[in-house]
Amino acid sequence: MTSEPEQPTNNSSVLHRASRWIAAIEDSVLVVLVAVMIGLASTQIFMRNVLDSGIAWGEPLLRLLVLWVGLVGAIVATREDNQITIDVLSRYLPTRAKTVTRLITDLFTGAVCAILAWHGGRFVMMDWQDATETFASVPAWLCEAIIPIGFGAIALRYALSFLSHLKMLMINRS
Amino acid sequence: MIAAALTLVVLALLGAPLFAIIAASALVGFYQSDVDLSVVAIEFYRLAEMPVLLAIPLFTFAGYLLSESHAPMRLVKLTRALLGWMPAGLAIVSLLACAFFTAFTGASGVTIVALGALLFPALMQAGYRENFNLGLITTSGSLGLLFAPSLPLILYAVIAQQINVGEPVSVDDMFLAGLFPGLLMLVMLSIYAFWINRNHSITAFSARRAWNAVVEARWEIPMPFIVLGGIYSGYFAVSEAAAVTAFYAIIVEVLLYREIKVRQLPGIMRNSMVLVGAILLILGAALASTNYMIDAGVPARLFATIQELVDNKYAFLILLNIFLLILGMMLDIFSALVIMVPLLLPIAIGYGVDPVHLGIIFLANMQIGYFTPPVGMNLFIASYRFSKPVMQLYRATLPFFTILLVTVLIITYWPSLSLTLLER
Repeated sequence: MTSEPEQPTNNSSVLHRASRWIAAIEDSVLVVLVAVMIGLASTQIFMRNVLDSGIAWGEPLLRLLVLWVGLVGAIVATREDNQITIDVLSRYLPTRAKTVTRLITDLFTGAVCAILAWHGGRFVMMDWQDATETFASVPAWLCEAIIPIGFGAIALRYALSFLSHLKMLMINRS
Repeated sequence: MIAAALTLVVLALLGAPLFAIIAASALVGFYQSDVDLSVVAIEFYRLAEMPVLLAIPLFTFAGYLLSESHAPMRLVKLTRALLGWMPAGLAIVSLLACAFFTAFTGASGVTIVALGALLFPALMQAGYRENFNLGLITTSGSLGLLFAPSLPLILYAVIAQQINVGEPVSVDDMFLAGLFPGLLMLVMLSIYAFWINRNHSITAFSARRAWNAVVEARWEIPMPFIVLGGIYSGYFAVSEAAAVTAFYAIIVEVLLYREIKVRQLPGIMRNSMVLVGAILLILGAALASTNYMIDAGVPARLFATIQELVDNKYAFLILLNIFLLILGMMLDIFSALVIMVPLLLPIAIGYGVDPVHLGIIFLANMQIGYFTPPVGMNLFIASYRFSKPVMQLYRATLPFFTILLVTVLIITYWPSLSLTLLER
Protein backbone atom coordinates (compact mmCIF):
# COMPACT_ATOMS: atom_id res chain seq x y z
CA MET A 1 0.00 0.00 0.00
CA THR A 2 2.71 2.48 -0.85
CA SER A 3 1.53 5.89 -1.83
CA GLU A 4 4.89 7.31 -2.87
CA PRO A 5 4.98 7.80 -6.62
CA GLU A 6 8.02 7.12 -8.76
CA GLN A 7 9.95 10.32 -9.21
CA PRO A 8 12.10 10.26 -12.33
CA THR A 9 13.85 13.64 -11.95
CA ASN A 10 17.40 14.05 -10.68
CA ASN A 11 16.94 15.85 -7.41
CA SER A 12 14.44 13.19 -6.40
CA SER A 13 17.18 10.63 -5.81
CA VAL A 14 18.50 12.89 -3.06
CA LEU A 15 14.99 13.13 -1.68
CA HIS A 16 14.61 9.39 -1.91
CA ARG A 17 17.83 8.77 -0.08
CA ALA A 18 16.79 11.28 2.58
CA SER A 19 13.43 9.61 3.01
CA ARG A 20 15.10 6.20 3.29
CA TRP A 21 17.37 7.58 6.00
CA ILE A 22 14.46 9.08 7.87
CA ALA A 23 12.59 5.80 7.65
CA ALA A 24 15.62 3.93 8.99
CA ILE A 25 15.94 6.38 11.89
CA GLU A 26 12.26 6.09 12.76
CA ASP A 27 12.45 2.30 12.67
CA SER A 28 15.59 2.19 14.80
CA VAL A 29 14.18 4.52 17.43
CA LEU A 30 11.05 2.39 17.59
CA VAL A 31 13.01 -0.86 17.96
CA VAL A 32 15.26 0.60 20.68
CA LEU A 33 12.24 1.85 22.62
CA VAL A 34 10.52 -1.55 22.43
CA ALA A 35 13.69 -3.41 23.37
CA VAL A 36 14.19 -1.18 26.40
CA MET A 37 10.54 -1.64 27.31
CA ILE A 38 10.71 -5.45 27.21
CA GLY A 39 14.07 -5.49 29.00
CA LEU A 40 13.04 -3.10 31.75
CA ALA A 41 9.64 -4.73 32.32
CA SER A 42 11.26 -8.16 32.62
CA THR A 43 13.99 -6.86 34.95
CA GLN A 44 11.37 -5.26 37.18
CA ILE A 45 9.51 -8.55 37.58
CA PHE A 46 12.71 -10.48 38.21
CA MET A 47 13.79 -7.99 40.88
CA ARG A 48 10.41 -7.92 42.56
CA ASN A 49 9.98 -11.69 42.73
CA VAL A 50 13.50 -12.97 43.15
CA LEU A 51 15.46 -10.17 44.80
CA ASP A 52 12.46 -8.60 46.50
CA SER A 53 13.47 -5.12 45.36
CA GLY A 54 12.84 -2.91 42.36
CA ILE A 55 13.93 0.17 40.44
CA ALA A 56 12.07 3.19 41.75
CA TRP A 57 11.88 4.96 38.37
CA GLY A 58 11.19 1.74 36.51
CA GLU A 59 7.43 1.93 36.66
CA PRO A 60 7.01 5.58 35.56
CA LEU A 61 9.60 5.08 32.82
CA LEU A 62 7.69 2.05 31.51
CA ARG A 63 4.48 4.06 31.42
CA LEU A 64 6.26 6.83 29.55
CA LEU A 65 7.67 4.30 27.09
CA VAL A 66 4.12 3.26 26.23
CA LEU A 67 3.41 6.82 25.06
CA TRP A 68 6.66 7.06 23.11
CA VAL A 69 6.28 3.65 21.50
CA GLY A 70 2.69 4.55 20.63
CA LEU A 71 3.63 7.80 18.89
CA VAL A 72 6.73 6.52 17.11
CA GLY A 73 4.73 3.44 16.08
CA ALA A 74 2.06 5.81 14.78
CA ILE A 75 4.67 7.68 12.73
CA VAL A 76 5.71 4.40 11.12
CA ALA A 77 2.07 3.38 10.66
CA THR A 78 1.46 6.67 8.85
CA ARG A 79 4.48 6.13 6.62
CA GLU A 80 3.12 2.74 5.65
CA ASP A 81 -0.39 4.08 5.19
CA ASN A 82 -1.56 1.74 7.90
CA GLN A 83 -3.73 3.99 10.06
CA ILE A 84 -7.08 2.58 11.10
CA THR A 85 -9.78 3.85 8.74
CA ILE A 86 -13.26 2.92 7.56
CA ASP A 87 -12.77 1.60 4.06
CA VAL A 88 -16.36 0.61 3.35
CA LEU A 89 -16.89 3.34 0.78
CA SER A 90 -13.44 3.80 -0.71
CA ARG A 91 -13.30 0.12 -1.66
CA TYR A 92 -15.97 0.75 -4.28
CA LEU A 93 -14.78 4.09 -5.64
CA PRO A 94 -13.14 4.36 -9.08
CA THR A 95 -9.42 5.19 -9.04
CA ARG A 96 -9.79 8.84 -9.88
CA ALA A 97 -12.44 9.48 -7.24
CA LYS A 98 -10.24 7.60 -4.79
CA THR A 99 -7.38 10.01 -5.47
CA VAL A 100 -9.65 12.99 -4.97
CA THR A 101 -11.02 11.71 -1.65
CA ARG A 102 -7.45 10.95 -0.64
CA LEU A 103 -6.53 14.59 -1.27
CA ILE A 104 -9.34 15.73 0.99
CA THR A 105 -8.62 13.29 3.80
CA ASP A 106 -4.85 13.90 3.65
CA LEU A 107 -5.39 17.62 3.94
CA PHE A 108 -7.81 17.18 6.83
CA THR A 109 -5.60 14.72 8.72
CA GLY A 110 -2.49 16.80 8.13
CA ALA A 111 -4.26 19.89 9.48
CA VAL A 112 -5.55 18.08 12.58
CA CYS A 113 -2.07 16.72 13.33
CA ALA A 114 -0.49 20.14 12.80
CA ILE A 115 -2.95 21.66 15.30
CA LEU A 116 -2.20 18.86 17.78
CA ALA A 117 1.55 19.36 17.29
CA TRP A 118 1.19 23.13 17.85
CA HIS A 119 -0.82 22.77 21.06
CA GLY A 120 1.42 19.90 22.14
CA GLY A 121 4.31 22.33 21.70
CA ARG A 122 2.56 24.90 23.89
CA PHE A 123 2.00 22.22 26.56
CA VAL A 124 5.72 21.37 26.47
CA MET A 125 6.69 25.06 26.66
CA MET A 126 4.49 25.60 29.71
CA ASP A 127 6.18 22.80 31.61
CA TRP A 128 9.57 24.02 30.41
CA GLN A 129 8.94 27.50 31.79
CA ASP A 130 7.63 26.10 35.06
CA ALA A 131 10.61 23.69 35.20
CA THR A 132 8.25 20.88 36.24
CA GLU A 133 9.97 17.63 37.15
CA THR A 134 8.70 14.07 36.92
CA PHE A 135 10.30 10.85 38.19
CA ALA A 136 14.04 10.80 38.99
CA SER A 137 14.25 14.60 38.46
CA VAL A 138 13.69 14.23 34.72
CA PRO A 139 12.16 17.47 33.41
CA ALA A 140 8.54 16.94 32.45
CA TRP A 141 8.86 18.81 29.16
CA LEU A 142 11.36 16.23 27.92
CA CYS A 143 8.88 13.40 28.50
CA GLU A 144 6.11 15.38 26.81
CA ALA A 145 8.25 16.44 23.86
CA ILE A 146 7.23 13.35 21.89
CA ILE A 147 3.71 14.76 21.47
CA PRO A 148 4.66 17.74 19.26
CA ILE A 149 7.45 15.72 17.61
CA GLY A 150 5.18 12.79 16.87
CA PHE A 151 2.23 14.78 15.59
CA GLY A 152 4.59 17.11 13.70
CA ALA A 153 6.13 14.15 11.88
CA ILE A 154 2.71 12.67 11.13
CA ALA A 155 1.44 16.04 9.85
CA LEU A 156 4.46 16.23 7.56
CA ARG A 157 3.78 12.75 6.19
CA TYR A 158 0.23 13.68 5.35
CA ALA A 159 1.41 16.90 3.71
CA LEU A 160 3.79 14.85 1.54
CA SER A 161 1.07 12.33 0.78
CA PHE A 162 -1.22 15.20 -0.21
CA LEU A 163 1.40 16.56 -2.63
CA SER A 164 2.11 13.20 -4.19
CA HIS A 165 -1.61 12.52 -4.72
CA LEU A 166 -2.01 15.97 -6.22
CA LYS A 167 0.82 15.20 -8.61
CA MET A 168 -0.78 11.87 -9.46
CA LEU A 169 -4.01 13.64 -10.31
CA MET A 170 -2.20 16.20 -12.52
CA ILE A 171 -0.27 13.53 -14.38
CA ASN A 172 -3.42 11.51 -15.00
CA ARG A 173 -5.18 14.55 -16.38
CA SER A 174 -2.47 15.56 -18.85
CA MET B 1 -22.17 21.86 15.97
CA ILE B 2 -24.35 19.48 13.97
CA ALA B 3 -22.70 20.66 10.75
CA ALA B 4 -19.28 19.92 12.24
CA ALA B 5 -20.40 16.46 13.35
CA LEU B 6 -21.82 15.65 9.91
CA THR B 7 -18.63 16.83 8.20
CA LEU B 8 -16.62 14.52 10.42
CA VAL B 9 -18.87 11.55 9.67
CA VAL B 10 -18.52 12.18 5.93
CA LEU B 11 -14.75 12.50 6.24
CA ALA B 12 -14.64 9.23 8.18
CA LEU B 13 -16.66 7.48 5.47
CA LEU B 14 -14.33 8.89 2.84
CA GLY B 15 -11.50 7.10 4.63
CA ALA B 16 -9.89 9.75 6.85
CA PRO B 17 -7.97 8.04 9.68
CA LEU B 18 -10.24 7.59 12.69
CA PHE B 19 -7.78 9.04 15.17
CA ALA B 20 -7.94 12.33 13.25
CA ILE B 21 -11.75 12.27 13.26
CA ILE B 22 -11.83 11.68 17.01
CA ALA B 23 -9.15 14.29 17.70
CA ALA B 24 -10.96 16.81 15.50
CA SER B 25 -14.21 16.24 17.38
CA ALA B 26 -12.41 16.97 20.65
CA LEU B 27 -10.73 20.08 19.18
CA VAL B 28 -14.02 21.44 17.83
CA GLY B 29 -15.82 20.70 21.08
CA PHE B 30 -13.25 22.34 23.34
CA TYR B 31 -12.87 25.28 20.95
CA GLN B 32 -16.60 26.00 21.09
CA SER B 33 -16.56 25.79 24.89
CA ASP B 34 -13.66 28.29 24.98
CA VAL B 35 -11.28 25.80 26.56
CA ASP B 36 -7.55 26.17 25.81
CA LEU B 37 -6.82 23.56 23.12
CA SER B 38 -3.62 22.42 24.81
CA VAL B 39 -6.04 20.35 26.91
CA VAL B 40 -6.12 17.86 24.04
CA ALA B 41 -2.34 17.36 24.28
CA ILE B 42 -2.58 17.11 28.06
CA GLU B 43 -5.28 14.45 27.76
CA PHE B 44 -3.19 12.61 25.17
CA TYR B 45 -0.32 12.55 27.65
CA ARG B 46 -2.50 10.45 29.96
CA LEU B 47 -1.44 7.49 27.82
CA ALA B 48 1.69 7.68 29.97
CA GLU B 49 -0.28 7.54 33.21
CA MET B 50 -2.09 4.21 32.90
CA PRO B 51 0.05 1.24 33.97
CA VAL B 52 -2.24 -1.34 32.35
CA LEU B 53 -1.57 0.03 28.85
CA LEU B 54 1.89 -1.52 28.99
CA ALA B 55 0.13 -4.81 28.33
CA ILE B 56 -0.88 -3.68 24.83
CA PRO B 57 2.57 -3.41 23.20
CA LEU B 58 3.93 -6.41 25.10
CA PHE B 59 1.11 -8.84 24.29
CA THR B 60 1.02 -7.65 20.68
CA PHE B 61 4.74 -8.20 20.29
CA ALA B 62 4.50 -11.67 21.83
CA GLY B 63 1.63 -12.53 19.48
CA TYR B 64 3.55 -11.40 16.39
CA LEU B 65 6.64 -13.28 17.54
CA LEU B 66 4.66 -16.49 18.01
CA SER B 67 2.99 -16.18 14.62
CA GLU B 68 6.38 -15.73 12.92
CA SER B 69 7.69 -18.94 14.50
CA HIS B 70 6.37 -22.45 13.95
CA ALA B 71 4.13 -22.11 17.01
CA PRO B 72 0.91 -22.10 14.91
CA MET B 73 1.97 -25.40 13.31
CA ARG B 74 2.76 -26.98 16.65
CA LEU B 75 -0.52 -25.73 18.09
CA VAL B 76 -2.48 -27.35 15.26
CA LYS B 77 -0.46 -30.55 15.52
CA LEU B 78 -1.00 -30.75 19.25
CA THR B 79 -4.74 -30.13 19.27
CA ARG B 80 -5.08 -32.47 16.31
CA ALA B 81 -3.23 -35.27 18.05
CA LEU B 82 -5.31 -34.80 21.19
CA LEU B 83 -8.74 -34.24 19.62
CA GLY B 84 -8.47 -35.40 16.02
CA TRP B 85 -9.91 -38.83 16.83
CA MET B 86 -13.36 -37.38 17.54
CA PRO B 87 -15.95 -37.17 14.77
CA ALA B 88 -15.46 -33.75 13.15
CA GLY B 89 -12.29 -33.67 15.21
CA LEU B 90 -10.29 -31.53 12.83
CA ALA B 91 -13.08 -28.94 12.63
CA ILE B 92 -13.18 -28.72 16.41
CA VAL B 93 -9.39 -28.54 16.46
CA SER B 94 -9.60 -25.55 14.12
CA LEU B 95 -12.06 -23.79 16.40
CA LEU B 96 -9.97 -24.33 19.51
CA ALA B 97 -6.64 -23.47 17.92
CA CYS B 98 -8.04 -20.29 16.39
CA ALA B 99 -9.75 -19.20 19.59
CA PHE B 100 -6.56 -19.72 21.51
CA PHE B 101 -4.47 -17.91 18.95
CA THR B 102 -6.84 -14.95 18.64
CA ALA B 103 -6.90 -14.49 22.40
CA PHE B 104 -3.15 -13.98 22.28
CA THR B 105 -2.85 -11.95 19.11
CA GLY B 106 -5.97 -9.78 19.27
CA ALA B 107 -8.48 -10.12 16.48
CA SER B 108 -6.71 -8.30 13.71
CA GLY B 109 -6.94 -10.77 10.87
CA VAL B 110 -3.67 -12.38 11.97
CA THR B 111 -5.46 -15.60 12.85
CA ILE B 112 -6.90 -16.12 9.37
CA VAL B 113 -3.57 -15.45 7.74
CA ALA B 114 -1.37 -17.42 10.15
CA LEU B 115 -3.59 -20.36 11.14
CA GLY B 116 -5.99 -20.41 8.20
CA ALA B 117 -3.09 -21.14 5.89
CA LEU B 118 -2.40 -24.31 7.87
CA LEU B 119 -5.92 -25.38 8.69
CA PHE B 120 -7.69 -24.80 5.39
CA PRO B 121 -5.56 -27.24 3.36
CA ALA B 122 -5.68 -29.75 6.21
CA LEU B 123 -9.47 -29.57 6.34
CA MET B 124 -9.74 -29.94 2.56
CA GLN B 125 -7.42 -32.92 2.62
CA ALA B 126 -9.44 -34.55 5.37
CA GLY B 127 -12.45 -34.37 3.06
CA TYR B 128 -14.58 -31.64 4.63
CA ARG B 129 -16.70 -29.61 2.21
CA GLU B 130 -15.04 -26.47 0.88
CA ASN B 131 -17.79 -24.08 1.97
CA PHE B 132 -17.83 -25.57 5.45
CA ASN B 133 -14.08 -25.03 5.70
CA LEU B 134 -14.19 -21.48 4.42
CA GLY B 135 -17.00 -20.59 6.80
CA LEU B 136 -15.25 -22.26 9.69
CA ILE B 137 -11.92 -20.49 9.13
CA THR B 138 -13.48 -17.08 8.50
CA THR B 139 -15.62 -17.40 11.63
CA SER B 140 -12.68 -18.60 13.69
CA GLY B 141 -10.70 -15.50 12.75
CA SER B 142 -12.43 -13.53 15.48
CA LEU B 143 -13.28 -16.38 17.82
CA GLY B 144 -11.43 -16.10 21.11
CA LEU B 145 -11.95 -12.39 21.50
CA LEU B 146 -13.66 -13.06 24.81
CA PHE B 147 -10.76 -15.04 26.26
CA ALA B 148 -7.94 -13.52 28.29
CA PRO B 149 -5.61 -11.88 27.48
CA SER B 150 -7.28 -10.45 24.39
CA LEU B 151 -6.59 -6.75 23.81
CA PRO B 152 -10.23 -5.71 23.36
CA LEU B 153 -11.08 -7.03 26.85
CA ILE B 154 -8.22 -4.96 28.29
CA LEU B 155 -9.17 -1.90 26.28
CA TYR B 156 -12.80 -2.05 27.35
CA ALA B 157 -11.79 -2.05 31.01
CA VAL B 158 -9.42 0.87 30.44
CA ILE B 159 -12.12 2.95 28.77
CA ALA B 160 -14.79 2.06 31.31
CA GLN B 161 -12.44 3.18 34.08
CA GLN B 162 -12.06 6.57 32.38
CA ILE B 163 -15.78 7.15 32.35
CA ASN B 164 -16.13 6.33 35.98
CA VAL B 165 -19.85 5.70 36.26
CA GLY B 166 -21.54 2.73 37.89
CA GLU B 167 -19.58 -0.09 39.43
CA PRO B 168 -15.85 -0.03 38.63
CA VAL B 169 -14.62 -2.40 35.90
CA SER B 170 -11.18 -3.97 36.21
CA VAL B 171 -9.27 -5.88 33.56
CA ASP B 172 -9.41 -8.97 35.76
CA ASP B 173 -13.22 -8.67 35.88
CA MET B 174 -13.35 -8.67 32.10
CA PHE B 175 -11.04 -11.67 31.89
CA LEU B 176 -13.33 -13.65 34.17
CA ALA B 177 -16.56 -12.44 32.58
CA GLY B 178 -15.53 -13.47 29.06
CA LEU B 179 -14.84 -17.06 29.99
CA PHE B 180 -18.33 -18.64 29.92
CA PRO B 181 -19.69 -16.60 26.99
CA GLY B 182 -16.57 -17.51 25.01
CA LEU B 183 -16.96 -21.17 25.90
CA LEU B 184 -20.63 -21.06 24.91
CA MET B 185 -19.62 -19.89 21.44
CA LEU B 186 -17.05 -22.66 21.16
CA VAL B 187 -19.49 -25.33 22.29
CA MET B 188 -22.28 -24.19 19.96
CA LEU B 189 -19.97 -24.10 16.95
CA SER B 190 -18.48 -27.48 17.88
CA ILE B 191 -21.94 -29.04 18.09
CA TYR B 192 -22.75 -27.65 14.65
CA ALA B 193 -19.46 -28.91 13.18
CA PHE B 194 -20.10 -32.29 14.76
CA TRP B 195 -23.67 -32.46 13.39
CA ILE B 196 -22.74 -31.47 9.85
CA ASN B 197 -19.89 -33.95 9.71
CA ARG B 198 -21.45 -36.74 11.75
CA ASN B 199 -20.95 -39.26 8.94
CA HIS B 200 -17.38 -38.22 8.39
CA SER B 201 -14.79 -40.96 8.80
CA ILE B 202 -12.59 -40.71 11.84
CA THR B 203 -8.95 -41.47 12.51
CA ALA B 204 -7.93 -43.51 15.51
CA PHE B 205 -6.30 -41.86 18.49
CA SER B 206 -2.60 -42.56 18.64
CA ALA B 207 -0.94 -42.20 22.02
CA ARG B 208 2.45 -42.01 20.39
CA ARG B 209 1.46 -39.21 18.05
CA ALA B 210 -0.08 -37.31 20.95
CA TRP B 211 3.06 -37.75 23.04
CA ASN B 212 5.24 -36.59 20.14
CA ALA B 213 3.14 -33.47 19.68
CA VAL B 214 3.33 -32.72 23.40
CA VAL B 215 7.10 -33.13 23.38
CA GLU B 216 7.41 -30.91 20.33
CA ALA B 217 5.36 -28.12 21.91
CA ARG B 218 6.86 -28.60 25.37
CA TRP B 219 8.21 -25.05 25.64
CA GLU B 220 5.03 -23.38 24.48
CA ILE B 221 2.57 -25.42 26.53
CA PRO B 222 3.50 -23.60 29.77
CA MET B 223 2.78 -20.20 28.22
CA PRO B 224 -1.01 -20.06 28.71
CA PHE B 225 -0.58 -21.44 32.21
CA ILE B 226 1.91 -18.72 33.10
CA VAL B 227 -0.29 -15.97 31.67
CA LEU B 228 -3.72 -17.14 32.72
CA GLY B 229 -2.62 -18.80 35.95
CA GLY B 230 -0.62 -15.73 36.88
CA ILE B 231 -3.45 -13.32 36.20
CA TYR B 232 -6.35 -15.33 37.59
CA SER B 233 -4.46 -16.24 40.76
CA GLY B 234 -3.61 -12.58 41.29
CA TYR B 235 0.10 -13.28 41.28
CA PHE B 236 0.74 -11.04 38.27
CA ALA B 237 -0.82 -7.76 37.32
CA VAL B 238 -1.96 -7.78 33.69
CA SER B 239 1.00 -5.71 32.50
CA GLU B 240 3.39 -8.00 34.36
CA ALA B 241 1.87 -11.07 32.77
CA ALA B 242 2.37 -9.36 29.41
CA ALA B 243 6.02 -8.68 30.19
CA VAL B 244 6.59 -12.28 31.25
CA THR B 245 4.89 -13.51 28.08
CA ALA B 246 6.99 -11.30 25.83
CA PHE B 247 10.20 -12.28 27.60
CA TYR B 248 9.31 -15.97 27.68
CA ALA B 249 8.32 -15.95 24.01
CA ILE B 250 11.71 -14.51 23.06
CA ILE B 251 13.55 -17.13 25.14
CA VAL B 252 11.50 -19.99 23.68
CA GLU B 253 11.44 -19.03 20.00
CA VAL B 254 14.91 -17.52 19.75
CA LEU B 255 17.00 -19.57 22.18
CA LEU B 256 15.20 -22.89 22.59
CA TYR B 257 13.49 -23.58 19.25
CA ARG B 258 15.85 -21.27 17.36
CA GLU B 259 13.21 -20.59 14.73
CA ILE B 260 13.55 -16.83 15.01
CA LYS B 261 17.02 -15.41 14.55
CA VAL B 262 18.13 -12.55 16.76
CA ARG B 263 18.45 -10.32 13.71
CA GLN B 264 14.78 -10.95 12.89
CA LEU B 265 13.67 -9.53 16.25
CA PRO B 266 13.94 -5.82 15.32
CA GLY B 267 11.71 -6.40 12.29
CA ILE B 268 9.11 -8.22 14.36
CA MET B 269 9.20 -5.52 17.05
CA ARG B 270 8.72 -2.86 14.44
CA ASN B 271 5.88 -4.60 12.59
CA SER B 272 3.97 -5.29 15.79
CA MET B 273 4.33 -1.69 16.95
CA VAL B 274 2.71 -0.35 13.77
CA LEU B 275 -0.56 -1.86 15.00
CA VAL B 276 0.11 -0.69 18.56
CA GLY B 277 0.82 2.84 17.36
CA ALA B 278 -2.42 2.93 15.39
CA ILE B 279 -4.40 1.69 18.42
CA LEU B 280 -2.76 4.02 20.96
CA LEU B 281 -3.19 7.02 18.70
CA ILE B 282 -6.93 6.36 18.60
CA LEU B 283 -7.04 5.75 22.35
CA GLY B 284 -5.11 8.96 23.11
CA ALA B 285 -7.41 11.03 20.91
CA ALA B 286 -10.40 9.34 22.52
CA LEU B 287 -9.22 10.30 26.02
CA ALA B 288 -9.63 13.92 24.95
CA SER B 289 -12.94 13.49 23.13
CA THR B 290 -14.40 11.44 26.00
CA ASN B 291 -13.38 14.11 28.46
CA TYR B 292 -15.12 16.72 26.34
CA MET B 293 -18.27 14.66 25.90
CA ILE B 294 -18.59 14.04 29.63
CA ASP B 295 -17.95 17.72 30.38
CA ALA B 296 -20.63 18.68 27.91
CA GLY B 297 -23.05 16.13 29.38
CA VAL B 298 -23.52 14.37 26.04
CA PRO B 299 -24.14 10.87 27.46
CA ALA B 300 -26.73 12.21 29.90
CA ARG B 301 -28.61 14.05 27.15
CA LEU B 302 -28.39 11.05 24.86
CA PHE B 303 -29.81 8.88 27.64
CA ALA B 304 -32.70 11.30 28.17
CA THR B 305 -33.53 11.23 24.47
CA ILE B 306 -33.33 7.47 24.16
CA GLN B 307 -35.34 6.94 27.33
CA GLU B 308 -38.24 8.80 25.79
CA LEU B 309 -38.26 6.35 22.89
CA VAL B 310 -37.31 3.13 24.62
CA ASP B 311 -38.88 2.46 27.96
CA ASN B 312 -37.51 -0.88 29.09
CA LYS B 313 -34.23 -2.70 29.41
CA TYR B 314 -35.08 -5.48 26.97
CA ALA B 315 -36.13 -3.19 24.17
CA PHE B 316 -32.93 -1.28 24.77
CA LEU B 317 -30.86 -4.45 24.56
CA ILE B 318 -32.46 -5.46 21.24
CA LEU B 319 -31.69 -2.05 19.77
CA LEU B 320 -28.19 -2.28 21.21
CA ASN B 321 -27.61 -5.61 19.47
CA ILE B 322 -28.78 -4.32 16.10
CA PHE B 323 -26.77 -1.15 16.45
CA LEU B 324 -23.59 -2.97 17.47
CA LEU B 325 -23.90 -5.47 14.61
CA ILE B 326 -23.97 -2.66 12.08
CA LEU B 327 -21.17 -0.87 13.90
CA GLY B 328 -19.02 -4.00 14.07
CA MET B 329 -19.35 -4.46 10.35
CA MET B 330 -18.09 -0.95 9.60
CA LEU B 331 -15.63 -0.11 12.35
CA ASP B 332 -12.69 -2.10 13.62
CA ILE B 333 -13.05 -3.22 17.19
CA PHE B 334 -10.58 -0.76 18.69
CA SER B 335 -12.15 2.35 17.18
CA ALA B 336 -15.62 1.07 17.98
CA LEU B 337 -14.60 0.64 21.63
CA VAL B 338 -13.11 4.09 22.11
CA ILE B 339 -15.84 5.89 20.21
CA MET B 340 -18.96 4.10 21.42
CA VAL B 341 -18.27 2.86 24.96
CA PRO B 342 -18.16 6.38 26.49
CA LEU B 343 -21.59 7.04 24.98
CA LEU B 344 -23.15 3.64 25.56
CA LEU B 345 -21.93 2.87 29.06
CA PRO B 346 -23.82 5.63 30.90
CA ILE B 347 -26.96 4.80 28.91
CA ALA B 348 -26.68 1.08 29.61
CA ILE B 349 -26.20 1.76 33.30
CA GLY B 350 -29.32 3.92 33.16
CA TYR B 351 -31.21 0.85 31.97
CA GLY B 352 -29.69 -1.25 34.75
CA VAL B 353 -27.16 -3.16 32.63
CA ASP B 354 -24.01 -4.13 34.51
CA PRO B 355 -20.92 -2.41 33.00
CA VAL B 356 -19.03 -5.70 32.79
CA HIS B 357 -21.98 -7.35 31.08
CA LEU B 358 -22.19 -4.47 28.62
CA GLY B 359 -18.53 -5.05 27.77
CA ILE B 360 -19.16 -8.69 26.97
CA ILE B 361 -22.25 -7.86 24.89
CA PHE B 362 -20.26 -5.23 23.05
CA LEU B 363 -17.34 -7.50 22.23
CA ALA B 364 -19.54 -10.49 21.35
CA ASN B 365 -21.39 -8.32 18.83
CA MET B 366 -18.15 -6.93 17.45
CA GLN B 367 -16.86 -10.45 17.06
CA ILE B 368 -19.62 -11.43 14.67
CA GLY B 369 -19.42 -8.00 13.07
CA TYR B 370 -16.06 -9.12 11.70
CA PHE B 371 -17.79 -11.46 9.28
CA THR B 372 -21.25 -9.88 8.95
CA PRO B 373 -22.08 -9.52 5.26
CA PRO B 374 -21.70 -7.44 3.21
CA VAL B 375 -18.68 -5.59 4.57
CA GLY B 376 -17.27 -7.48 7.57
CA MET B 377 -13.49 -7.18 7.38
CA ASN B 378 -12.62 -10.87 7.80
CA LEU B 379 -14.76 -11.79 4.79
CA PHE B 380 -12.40 -9.77 2.64
CA ILE B 381 -9.26 -11.06 4.36
CA ALA B 382 -10.42 -14.67 3.84
CA SER B 383 -11.48 -13.95 0.26
CA TYR B 384 -8.03 -12.55 -0.44
CA ARG B 385 -6.14 -15.22 1.46
CA PHE B 386 -7.92 -18.22 -0.09
CA SER B 387 -8.61 -16.61 -3.50
CA LYS B 388 -12.36 -17.19 -3.33
CA PRO B 389 -15.06 -14.72 -4.38
CA VAL B 390 -16.58 -12.72 -1.53
CA MET B 391 -20.03 -13.96 -2.57
CA GLN B 392 -18.98 -17.53 -1.83
CA LEU B 393 -17.78 -16.42 1.61
CA TYR B 394 -21.15 -14.80 2.33
CA ARG B 395 -22.81 -18.15 1.70
CA ALA B 396 -20.15 -20.15 3.49
CA THR B 397 -20.26 -18.11 6.69
CA LEU B 398 -24.05 -17.86 6.89
CA PRO B 399 -24.70 -20.96 9.06
CA PHE B 400 -21.88 -19.99 11.40
CA PHE B 401 -23.15 -16.44 11.53
CA THR B 402 -26.63 -17.65 12.47
CA ILE B 403 -25.31 -19.82 15.27
CA LEU B 404 -23.18 -17.07 16.74
CA LEU B 405 -26.04 -14.60 16.42
CA VAL B 406 -28.13 -16.91 18.59
CA THR B 407 -25.21 -17.13 21.02
CA VAL B 408 -24.93 -13.35 21.16
CA LEU B 409 -28.63 -13.14 22.01
CA ILE B 410 -28.17 -15.69 24.79
CA ILE B 411 -25.20 -13.72 26.12
CA THR B 412 -27.21 -10.51 25.97
CA TYR B 413 -30.33 -11.75 27.75
CA TRP B 414 -28.64 -14.01 30.26
CA PRO B 415 -26.42 -11.67 32.29
CA SER B 416 -25.39 -14.25 34.87
CA LEU B 417 -23.53 -16.20 32.20
CA SER B 418 -21.05 -13.32 32.16
CA LEU B 419 -21.33 -12.24 35.76
CA THR B 420 -21.47 -15.47 37.73
CA LEU B 421 -17.70 -15.75 38.16
CA LEU B 422 -17.61 -12.20 39.48
CA GLU B 423 -20.34 -12.82 42.01
CA ARG B 424 -22.17 -9.64 41.10
